[in-house]
Amino acid sequence: MAGKQPEEKEKRQKEWYRLDNAAVVYSAIQKERYSAVYRFSAVMDQPVDPAALQRAVDKTMPRFPGFRVRIKQGVFWYYSEFNDAPGPFVQKDISNCCQPVRFDQDDGWLVRFFYYERRISLEVFHAISDGAGAMTLLRTLLAVYLRELGYQIPNTCGVLDVDKPPRPEELEDAYARYATVKARRFTTLKKAYPNAGTAEPFYTLNVTMGFCSVRQLKEKAREHGASITEYLTAVLLKVLVDQQRRERPKKELPVALAIPINLRPWFPTESLRNFILTVRPCIDPGLGEYTFEEIVSQVHHYLRLNINRQQMQAELAGNVKFARNKLVQITPVVLKNPGVAFGYWMAGVRPFSGTYTNPGPFEVPEEMRPHIRRMEVILGQATMPRVHCASISYGDVMEITFAGTQKESDTERDFFRFLVRDGIHVKVESNRTQ
Amino acid sequence: MPYCVHCGVELDGTATFCPLCRTEVIDPGRPPDTQSPKPFPDERGEVPPIPKGAVAAVITAMLACVAVGCGLLNLFLKPGRTWSLYVIGATIMLWLWIVLPILFKRIPLLVRSLINVAAVALYVYLMSVELNGRAWYLGLAVPIILWGGAVWLLLSLMLRVYHRSVISSAAILIGSLGVFLLGVEFFIDRWLTGGWDPSWSLVVLTICVCTVIPLVIIRRIPAFREEVRRRFHT
Ligand SMILES: [Zn+2]
Repeated sequence: MAGKQPEEKEKRQKEWYRLDNAAVVYSAIQKERYSAVYRFSAVMDQPVDPAALQRAVDKTMPRFPGFRVRIKQGVFWYYSEFNDAPGPFVQKDISNCCQPVRFDQDDGWLVRFFYYERRISLEVFHAISDGAGAMTLLRTLLAVYLRELGYQIPNTCGVLDVDKPPRPEELEDAYARYATVKARRFTTLKKAYPNAGTAEPFYTLNVTMGFCSVRQLKEKAREHGASITEYLTAVLLKVLVDQQRRERPKKELPVALAIPINLRPWFPTESLRNFILTVRPCIDPGLGEYTFEEIVSQVHHYLRLNINRQQMQAELAGNVKFARNKLVQITPVVLKNPGVAFGYWMAGVRPFSGTYTNPGPFEVPEEMRPHIRRMEVILGQATMPRVHCASISYGDVMEITFAGTQKESDTERDFFRFLVRDGIHVKVESNRTQ
Repeated sequence: MPYCVHCGVELDGTATFCPLCRTEVIDPGRPPDTQSPKPFPDERGEVPPIPKGAVAAVITAMLACVAVGCGLLNLFLKPGRTWSLYVIGATIMLWLWIVLPILFKRIPLLVRSLINVAAVALYVYLMSVELNGRAWYLGLAVPIILWGGAVWLLLSLMLRVYHRSVISSAAILIGSLGVFLLGVEFFIDRWLTGGWDPSWSLVVLTICVCTVIPLVIIRRIPAFREEVRRRFHT
């Protein structure tokens, strides 16, 4: 094994991957004022042992070659290649997390590991993986870390075996594989209420987390005839509609959220790379006033109606078709970037008031459960000073994060006050310092 | 465990204020816990400054090479005429326009306008040297350049206020163009005849004003409508 390693390493160095569609966009729009970096954290029952964590990272990363990459600029497209730099190294955590990546700095690492007290955090640049892929990496890392501490953890429940070689299926571009149907025609979306605040000085990320009980949330959501995701989406929409009304604009704009949908349940793939699409539940106050019950009902039916295999496949085919266009292909990447950035702004920023993502419950093997207190998720700064919302549940703890570069805390305040008024107990923690 | 009296949410024991509404936590019986670790670290990760110096250096080197190269070529190609002054002037102007804003992010508008005006004036001056045009440079070019700089400054100031509206921006842009050309004709007339007999610039100005009027009206309509509604509501 030891003798084979240098040869294997040399072979790996030459490996490179085309970026998938999502990665093309995230690479093109990456800049100082926008961070397509998200963070998953696990709060353990004991303070973190950094040495054991570093050993766990060293053992885990070879199993995940898709995360061990750097992004380079080619003539026509960005591409990713195997990163042979030493590391990644675990770092002491910082208050302004999810900093933008710079492809030419920090040895080109697109994953970062942090520790603070009992918290282990993983930050991932969105071009290399989505939430589902990153959660697999973190789950496996936590299992290896706990083994380093002397516990017996089996490779079940989505923990990958780090002693086995990585499988090619995990590096698949699933978008390309399922883009087999006729593409859906691109439609322009209406401008939404931007929910923009006053920008903090560079570089600050205000993070506010709320913790509540999954059981309590589920009961409350059921009272409204909805799932937890639908209920929280509706609360956020309601809060934003009311907020816009308070600002007394000349014309009330629609309030719309970007909700990323993990495509794996519909299109089977082992891929750990990006495989998501977003849907856009929207409330247009221009049509009249909506009660909360009506918003819940809108969201509930919208999500059920629009998340289906055919519609999603047509949409992803449209995205892939763009990248296969001959004219687009032969345009140099420096010229393509502003085009992609403009397209992203038109289709991904302007028509939305914010993002809400719920990657679902974080499942771990029975043996790991006593060692993990709770899970957290944070989305990096948006293209403008406004909040992104994300939530993750673990056991009975639902964690909801609002993170953004704006000074104001109106959205999160109204959101959590709404939950409290609806009878849900919320505990709030934040990195804000007055 | 402390609670926020306004939001009703539970707060961390170490919290001194509510992060949602910034209300202070005041509990005489139990002051905030200063011993336990806070939920988030205090240290900020400092971001290294953007390596903009490299970009500025590359552009500077390119411009310098062009200037020096043309200067040398001038010694052999038509050495009787100092045509390279055109190129050298252009590179200086480009340097002041492009590299300076890269090096210094926050130059005040007035200073930047002065630099831009000086750059253009310098360029035209180099041209006038080549053409032995000291008289027209002082009599015609300098007033027009200064006038252009003044209009430009005014334009920038107005756009700073009205940049949110595309219609206002367009109206301001068109209006400034008309005003600028009016001044140009004034200076040309004064230079040629000593008087002022506005002709073509008046036509241009009229066109500009006529284009601006509908824009202003369109811009005003919602406010106008609101006004009518307020005064005639039943
Ligand atoms: Zn409060």
